[in-house]
Amino acid sequence: MSESLDALERRIAELRAEVRRAVKAKENSLARSLRGDLRRAEKAWDEAITAEEPPPKLREPEASLLPIREQVHQALALLGVPTSAKLIVAVNDAFFSRELRGSQLTSLRRDEERSFRSDPYARPYYLCAALTDRLSPARGLLADSSWAPELRVLGPLSPRVDFLTSTMRIAEHLTRLAEPPMGALRLLSRMAQNIPGAVEGFAPADPATAIRAAGAELEVHRAADTAQRTEVAARVARQLPDVERLFGAATMSTLRGAC
Amino acid sequence: MNRLEELRGPMPSHPHDARAIAALAANPGCARRALMDAAGVDKDRVARHLGFPAPFGQSQFAITRGNVFEALVKENGCAELLRLLRELLGLPIAQVGYQDVESVGSHLRHSHTRALIDRAAREDDGTAVFYDHPLFSLEIAGHTSYLEPDVVAFQIGGRFRIVEIKSFGLIDGQAEPEKVAAAARQAAVYVLALRTLMADLGHDPERVSHDVVLVCPENFANRPAAALVDVRKQLAVLKRQLARMTRVDRLLEGLPRDLTFDLVPDPDGVPTRPADELAGALRQVPARYAPDCLSTCDMCMFCRDEARCDGSTDLLGRQIRDQLGGVSRMTEALGLAEGTLEPAEGQEEIARLLRLADRLREEALN
Repeated sequence: MSESLDALERRIAELRAEVRRAVKAKENSLARSLRGDLRRAEKAWDEAITAEEPPPKLREPEASLLPIREQVHQALALLGVPTSAKLIVAVNDAFFSRELRGSQLTSLRRDEERSFRSDPYARPYYLCAALTDRLSPARGLLADSSWAPELRVLGPLSPRVDFLTSTMRIAEHLTRLAEPPMGALRLLSRMAQNIPGAVEGFAPADPATAIRAAGAELEVHRAADTAQRTEVAARVARQLPDVERLFGAATMSTLRGAC
Repeated sequence: MNRLEELRGPMPSHPHDARAIAALAANPGCARRALMDAAGVDKDRVARHLGFPAPFGQSQFAITRGNVFEALVKENGCAELLRLLRELLGLPIAQVGYQDVESVGSHLRHSHTRALIDRAAREDDGTAVFYDHPLFSLEIAGHTSYLEPDVVAFQIGGRFRIVEIKSFGLIDGQAEPEKVAAAARQAAVYVLALRTLMADLGHDPERVSHDVVLVCPENFANRPAAALVDVRKQLAVLKRQLARMTRVDRLLEGLPRDLTFDLVPDPDGVPTRPADELAGALRQVPARYAPDCLSTCDMCMFCRDEARCDGSTDLLGRQIRDQLGGVSRMTEALGLAEGTLEPAEGQEEIARLLRLADRLREEALN
């Protein structure tokens, strides 16, 4: 846009010079037509400058119309693994709106549990807990009730597997975007720094390299983690009623069941 | 132990945290402190009641900063810590297990920590590398204190390591020696607690490494860096101190029968005992004040005031006090130096040195 403005300004200057030359040479008809061109050029310049004025606010505040619950769900759908509130906020910040705060997530799980207890399965999905190998709710991790049970439970290797998976999912999402947002690249770089071979020093991470490196480490852990998770998921299915399958067992009853 | 309860009065025993236990090692010779700690007296409360509240305690800013840094190191299943340990100790790629002990609920943390450590020590393989929020216990003078190390890492080769996360900065590979020393003392408490637990479970306590991993932010950024710190010396001092606390009977022997540090609290727990009377009781137990007490002991301001009123040489610091030999009062030292006081038997040597110093000072001033 600014380039055409520059061109127009050059054109206007040229036209003015030509008008002056034509007037000096007393070529009236030429001067008149040149003045016409000049007026059109000036008009075009006026239009161009107003068009470039404040561009309609594209993404800055962009208040999300989605309720908090939907925003969290959106971030979880992108990541696909049980995730801490902090990472959910970071992902939402990087890819979607920027208005989710950690404190808004604190009571979410409790509200969901209350809703499920009063009217089970009324909603298509619930934001629920990830379950530890003691079948208790894992502290601070949110999951999606529509995921397979194996995805919602944790073995000792799972935090690492989930970290690698979420790094890959973020990198994959970045490759799908025509204009990857800077915040998302920074998030990926920060995560990739903790994966061997994913990034060189403090350089911004390349999504393809990050996917490859995370995938390579994932291969090391996957089999053992899957086995542990399947075992815990089987225990969840065997021992827990519906509500606790989603939101975890209270610790004392877990102890009676698990030990 | 009954005598200790009389000393404490009706208040419940004040639990020791790792910081307080670590501080024990900072001034081993102080009888007042040893006695108050052994009896579980709440020193902070006593100091407040006497009108000498201790000047320390972390600022809210420092606490928040510390917590944020710790969360950063531990987030996503200790991802940052994992990178550091891979660099520092060559932790193999496959070892990434993570257990959050706190997930079982706070009332079970101690027994769960015990069960997890036992399993890890037995199986040696395929178990977790990181134990987050573990809870250890340590017997201190008959009372159980509970301790929360930042993280315990289980390294290949069957050795446990304590990880201590601190938010003071590491600048060009250097940190403030005092802060590192304090962190090492605190980590030593955890090493001792874990060794005790291992011995209790029938494993070799030496499997707990005396090298602890200290994690600090590096070069003004919030990026964590790690270093190994050898805490053998701190462990030795700590063990001696704790053994001394269990032999507190010797300290009790010389005390008057009716001595008590009881604050005589009313039903709301507000102390009603006159401060002078309490101060009088405390003065019957000798303290060994040193300027470093100011950074570790709740009673520091009271003891400093006492030392100042007495004109005690303790105020000048340990090194000078030791050089002054048996001279415990500043007036005495000055008298010897100026020749207005006759040296007592055995003081001739120190008197000669003090006079020499006085003469040199005079000559330098003239």
